Amino acid sequence: MSENGSALLQVEEVSKSFGGVEALRSGSFTLSRGEIIAIVGANGAGKSTLIKIVAGVYRPDGGRMLVRGEAVDPRHHTVSHMRHLGIEVVYQDLAIVPNMNAPYNLFLGRIPRRLGIFVDEGAMRHKTREILDDLKVKTVQSLREPISAMSGGQQQSIAIGRAIAWGREIVILDEPTAALGPTETGEVERLMHEIRERGTAVILISHNLEQVFRLADRILVVHHGLTTPAFPKSAVTGDQLVRAITLGEQVA
Amino acid sequence: MDASGEARAVRGELLRNNVPYIAIVLVILLFTIVSGDRFLSLRNWTFIAQQTPVLLLLAYAQLIVVTTGSIDISVGSNLGFSMYMGVLGMVWLGPAGILLGILSATLIGFINGSIFSLLKISSFVTTLAMLIIVRAMLNIISDGGSIYVTEQAATGTYVDSVAAPWLLALGRFPNILIFAIVITALMWVFYEKTVFGQQLKALGGSERVLSLFGVSVTWFKIQVFVAAGFMVGLASLISLGRSGAGTLRAGEQFELDAIAAVALGGTPLTGGHGSVLRTVVGALTLTVVANGLTIAGVDPSWSRVARGLLLIIAIAISLNRRRIGVVK
Repeated sequence: MSENGSALLQVEEVSKSFGGVEALRSGSFTLSRGEIIAIVGANGAGKSTLIKIVAGVYRPDGGRMLVRGEAVDPRHHTVSHMRHLGIEVVYQDLAIVPNMNAPYNLFLGRIPRRLGIFVDEGAMRHKTREILDDLKVKTVQSLREPISAMSGGQQQSIAIGRAIAWGREIVILDEPTAALGPTETGEVERLMHEIRERGTAVILISHNLEQVFRLADRILVVHHGLTTPAFPKSAVTGDQLVRAITLGEQVA
Repeated sequence: MDASGEARAVRGELLRNNVPYIAIVLVILLFTIVSGDRFLSLRNWTFIAQQTPVLLLLAYAQLIVVTTGSIDISVGSNLGFSMYMGVLGMVWLGPAGILLGILSATLIGFINGSIFSLLKISSFVTTLAMLIIVRAMLNIISDGGSIYVTEQAATGTYVDSVAAPWLLALGRFPNILIFAIVITALMWVFYEKTVFGQQLKALGGSERVLSLFGVSVTWFKIQVFVAAGFMVGLASLISLGRSGAGTLRAGEQFELDAIAAVALGGTPLTGGHGSVLRTVVGALTLTVVANGLTIAGVDPSWSRVARGLLLIIAIAISLNRRRIGVVK
């Protein structure tokens, strides 16, 4: 078996432009089962574009992506297909529909049906309780309330619970703790460890380098739309990482 | 959001939810005081029960679209056009030809949705253009003439007509009311219990989030207008039965009444929420106001002024200002 034979995800020189602006010139990395990789870079370096390609939101202009060794057909490079493959994202702004309730948000894009057209509300509520219990969220009073009536922490739980529940293979977290206090941050980090133990890989975008060193196995730097080869966190010091982020210096 | 902002939002929501009921009670009280028995008579309320259903079904079409945060101001033209196509279909094919009307309305919905969704032209501009185009098409196809629905086959060929007593029967009380109640029940199930209905509200809440999670928003938005068009088609059926003719001017300005009924039903034009039952109340309120003003002897022009003001008041209450930063 080749080195990449065990890779869960291989991203090979993907690129993306928007109206002549190169948001990502070339992005490459691999990801193994149960691994946590941190993607770091300055604002506008191309981190978001890279993860949105992995999530299927953007179809890359060039390069290719393999999941479990199988190349993703560019024609099927969609969110639905990536979600079908077990890839989920927790967006920085949580990406919830504010006027809908918690079950609807958890089942966004995959509402269970009865007789083909009806919402299976019973199944949704049941599964929602299960997910919230797994997350040890007890403070959600009503599953019928719009999610905008919940606290920020509860909304965050729903967004993370959604990704963990459906993301069997890869969960992408975009600045998951930027807006959280220490207790909630600890909770999110505990969940990350929990899902890696079941074999799910995690892609973490974070500006908090302390957190990156604490959680990640490997680090991927994006600078001016280019990725440098990912390295184990033990290979760098904090200063070296900062220089790599700001100046694009190669890490040995 | 701070606590007082939250409390204000809850109060606003509560007001929006209950305004329809308060409004109709006030309106009925007012006209009872002004016109007494003439307004409260069984005969008058039978008349109201006959008059509300067409508006109600148009309001449902509007509700479907408005829940997503869009608007359809072509429903009046669409109604007139599909009424004419329905009666023309019956001239060509017999009773089954009425389906041509429903088909036409659905097709116009499909065109609305396609222009709006694929060309990314705002629903207001799209349906405004369609309001004009569809009415003009009706003029072209009908050549300015009318086709009448009659009880018996006409002998002379002086006037275009088609015999469809069953359709005229459908347009009369209580059949028209029963029809409206059945459609209301189906509409409620569709709006509250189906995946499609839930998605209408979600689209009104955040289109961006739906696309991020793999919902095909482009296709869904077309389907929304198709569903609204189909509802206009159902309205054309009872409207034909009631008025007994497909004419050039049928349905003119009905789009405003349909929007007003939805807004009076407390549905914010900004989308995301809505209620079938409150839309019933909204449509009823509008009909009762028109009826009450007529009975009170108010000049029809002044009656229109009153209904225009009612539209503004209804929208002022129903708009969720927290959702709109800038009004243009």
